[in-house]
Amino acid sequence: MRREKDIRVLLGNVAIARGIIEAGCHVVTSYPGTPSSEILPAVVEFKRESNLDTYIEWSANEKVAFDNALAASMTGKRAAVAMKQVGLNVASDSLMSSAYTGVIGGLVIISCDDPGPQSSQTEQDSRFFAMFAKVPVFDPATPQEAMEMVRAAFELSEDFQIPVLLRPTVRVSHARQNVTLAPVEKLERAANFKKDPERWAATPRYRLILHKKLNESLTRIQERFEHDTQWNYEVGTGQEAVLGIITGSVSFSILMDILEEKNLKSIINVLKIGTPFPLPQKRVADFTARHNKVLMIEETDAVIESQIIDKSRLVGRNTGHVPLQGELTPDVIYSILADVLQELELTHLDKTTDPHLDVMIEDLNLPVRRPTLCAGCPERAAFYAIKKALPKAIYTSDIGCYTLGLNLKAVDTVLDMGAGITFASGFYQAYSQDNKDIPIVATMGDSTFYHSGTSSLLNAVYNDARFILVILDNEITAMTGMQPTPGLGITAEGKKGNPIPLPELIRGCGVQWIKTIDPYDVSGLIKLLKEARDYNLQDKGGGIAVIIAKHACLIRYPELLQKKPVKVKITDECTGCRHCLEFFECPALVWNQKKEKVEIDRLLCVDCGVCLNACPSEAIVQI
Amino acid sequence: MRIQMILAGIGGQGILFASKILTELGLKLGLDVMGSETHGMSQRGGSVIAHLKLGDFQSPMIRTGTADILLAFDGSEAYKSLKFVKKNGLCILNLKSIALFDKAVLNYLRKNEITVLAYDASGKAQEIGSVRSANIILLGFSLGTGQLPFKAGDVRGIIGSLSKEKDRDLNLKAFEMGLWAGEQEKIDF
Repeated sequence: MRREKDIRVLLGNVAIARGIIEAGCHVVTSYPGTPSSEILPAVVEFKRESNLDTYIEWSANEKVAFDNALAASMTGKRAAVAMKQVGLNVASDSLMSSAYTGVIGGLVIISCDDPGPQSSQTEQDSRFFAMFAKVPVFDPATPQEAMEMVRAAFELSEDFQIPVLLRPTVRVSHARQNVTLAPVEKLERAANFKKDPERWAATPRYRLILHKKLNESLTRIQERFEHDTQWNYEVGTGQEAVLGIITGSVSFSILMDILEEKNLKSIINVLKIGTPFPLPQKRVADFTARHNKVLMIEETDAVIESQIIDKSRLVGRNTGHVPLQGELTPDVIYSILADVLQELELTHLDKTTDPHLDVMIEDLNLPVRRPTLCAGCPERAAFYAIKKALPKAIYTSDIGCYTLGLNLKAVDTVLDMGAGITFASGFYQAYSQDNKDIPIVATMGDSTFYHSGTSSLLNAVYNDARFILVILDNEITAMTGMQPTPGLGITAEGKKGNPIPLPELIRGCGVQWIKTIDPYDVSGLIKLLKEARDYNLQDKGGGIAVIIAKHACLIRYPELLQKKPVKVKITDECTGCRHCLEFFECPALVWNQKKEKVEIDRLLCVDCGVCLNACPSEAIVQI
Repeated sequence: MRIQMILAGIGGQGILFASKILTELGLKLGLDVMGSETHGMSQRGGSVIAHLKLGDFQSPMIRTGTADILLAFDGSEAYKSLKFVKKNGLCILNLKSIALFDKAVLNYLRKNEITVLAYDASGKAQEIGSVRSANIILLGFSLGTGQLPFKAGDVRGIIGSLSKEKDRDLNLKAFEMGLWAGEQEKIDF
C-alpha cells in the first residue's frame, strides 16, 4: 500500500507550499524572511511539477503581498500570502481591516514565528495578532499537519468568508519530515469581482455592521472548533488522571516524545489544541474539570492560557512554571514537566544534563561563533570605508546581512525594515534642534530599500534632513537565500519583469546627489563619503547624499571573483596589532596565537584583495 | 529502528546537505523521518546544528543526553554538542587527531562509554582540491566505520541523486575516500 502513496521528505515550509498547491490556490505572494523564505520558491517548483497556471510573486513588502492576495480572493480565487512574523506587523493594517471586509475566495495568511529568536528582532506570537484582528488560527505541530491544515484553512476561509491564519513556528517551518502527498485539486475559477461598496469601501457606519458580522462568524467558528477532532484531540490514559496538559504546535510533538521515552502516557492526559483562536472553550473547560492540575505548554506566549476563563487549576506562565521568553526546547519542556511532576509528587524525572560536562566545556573558553559577513563580501568593504572616512558618525542600519556590520562597529542601530533611513533623519532633526550638525551614515540593502526605504527617504528630503545614505546594492536579497529584488527585475518564477533602477527611484524621492561606486574601491569610496559629507554641510544647495555601493553578492555570483583574483600575503611587517581582525573581520584573516601575528586561511580566502586596505602597517601585500 | 543523530558545525560546511542525504536515506529505508535545521543568519559562519531522528518520533528535536550519534564537522563546535550524546553513544569528529581533543573531556566521554573517532576530513578535502567536500568525506568515513546502521550502497545512491550535475562526480569521489578511510579504522577497532 505504502508504495502507491507519494511520500517525500519535505521541509515544513515546502510541505506548506504543497498544501497551497493541493488546495488549488490560484495566487500566492510573499516577501522573504527567515523562517518563511522557502515557501514561495517551493510553490514555484510544485506549480511546474503539476503544470499549473498559479500566479506567484515576490512582492516588494509584506503589506503589498497581503493586498495583492486579498484582491485575488475578492475576485473569488483562492489566495495565500506568506511572511515571517515581523512581516505581519508590516501587513497588519491590511490584516485588521480585511477581518471586517472578509474574503470571497479562500485567503490563507502564513505567518512563521521565530521563538528564540534565531533570526528575528522579536519573539512575537502571531496567534496573538490573529486574536487581535479577530481571525481564526491553525497552529501545526508537524510539517505533515501544516500541509493538511492549509487545505482546512482554505475551506474554513470560504465557509465563513474570513481570512485564516496558519502559524507555523520555526521548528515546523524548518523541520524535515516524510510527508504523504495528496492529489492536486484543480479549481476552475474565473475572476469575478462583484461590486459591493458597502463592504469593499465601507465607511465607518458600515464598518460597525461588518464588525458585528465578524463577531457572529467567530462564534460560529468557535462552535465548529468545539466539534473538531482532527486538529483538537486528547491523547493519554483514557481515564481520570491527576495531571492534564494542554498544548499545541511543536511543543505538543516534543511533549509526546518525552512522554513516550519516560513511559508517562499512563499517568498524564494531553489535550492538543490545533485551533488556538477562537479557543474551543467548552472542550478546554471539560478537560480542565477532569484534572487536579492542568499544565499549559504553548509557544511563544500564553495565547491559549490567557483565553481560559477559570484559571484556578492552571499552571503555566501565570504561575511562573513556564518561562516568559525563549524557545520551549525539549530540555525546557522536560524540566518544566519534571518540576510539575515533583510538585504533585507523581514521579521523579532524572536530570539528563551533567553539570560536570557543562563546566568542563565552559573552561575550554571556546570561540563564540557569531555570524560574520562572508570572505570577500562587498558590504565589509563598504563598512570599512565608512569607518575610515567618518569615524565619529552615528551609524544607523537595517535588517539584512549588513546587520553584521555590528561586528565591525559600523552599525549602531537596527530596529526594523526601513529604520536605517528614518533613524538617520530622526537623529538629524534631534541634533539640529540643538544647532548641532553631526555626521550620520545610514546603511541599507537594496531589497530593504525597495521594501520600505522610499517613504522614509522622501520624508527625510521633504523635511530637509542631512545625512549620507549608503545603499549596499548586491542585487539580491542575500540573507534570506538569494531572492530576486525589483532592481534585478526577475520575477519569482525566473521570468523577465520590469527592473526598477535604484538611481531613478532615489532621484524620484527628491535626492539630487547620487553617486554609484564599487565598494571594492575602498579609497575611492572613502573620498566619495567625504564629498558626501561636504554636501550634507552646505547650507544652501546641500542635502541628503546617497551613495550606491554596488557589487554583486559573492554567494550568488562566485564566478565574479575568478575573473580578477587578487592574491595577497601577510609579510613579517605584521605587528600583531589586530586592527584587521577587529575592524575588518574577514573570516580568512586568522590570529596565530604562537606567533602573535595574523595569517591568511587559504581555505577561506577568496582572493578579493580588499584587505590590502585594512593593515595600518601595510603588511598585507599583493603577491 | 530508532536512531537520533546530531550534525554540528559551522555555517557553510554543508551540514544541511549531509542532513538531507540522511533524511532521504531514512525514507528509502521506509522509516519515519524527522529533523530540524538551522537557516538564516547562522548560515553566515555561525554555529549550525541539525537534529535528525529516524523511526517512531513525533518531534524534530533531540533532547540532551539522548542522541545516539554526533557527527561534528568542526572541532570546537563538537564540544558544544557533546551534551546531546547519550551514554554508550558515538562521536565522530572532523579532527586531525584525537590527541587534539581536550583530555579531560575525552576521559569524561570514555567514562560514559561514549566512543570517539576522529578523522581529518578537511585535510582530505583539501588534498582533492575541494574544501567543500569535507561534509561528504566525513559522512563516508562514518559509514565506513560500520558504526552506523546503514548500507554504504544506499547512501551512495542518494548522494548521486541529490547532487547537482556539476558536483556529482566530486561528491561520489569524496564519499568513496571517506568510506575507505573509515573501513581502515574499522579494522583497527
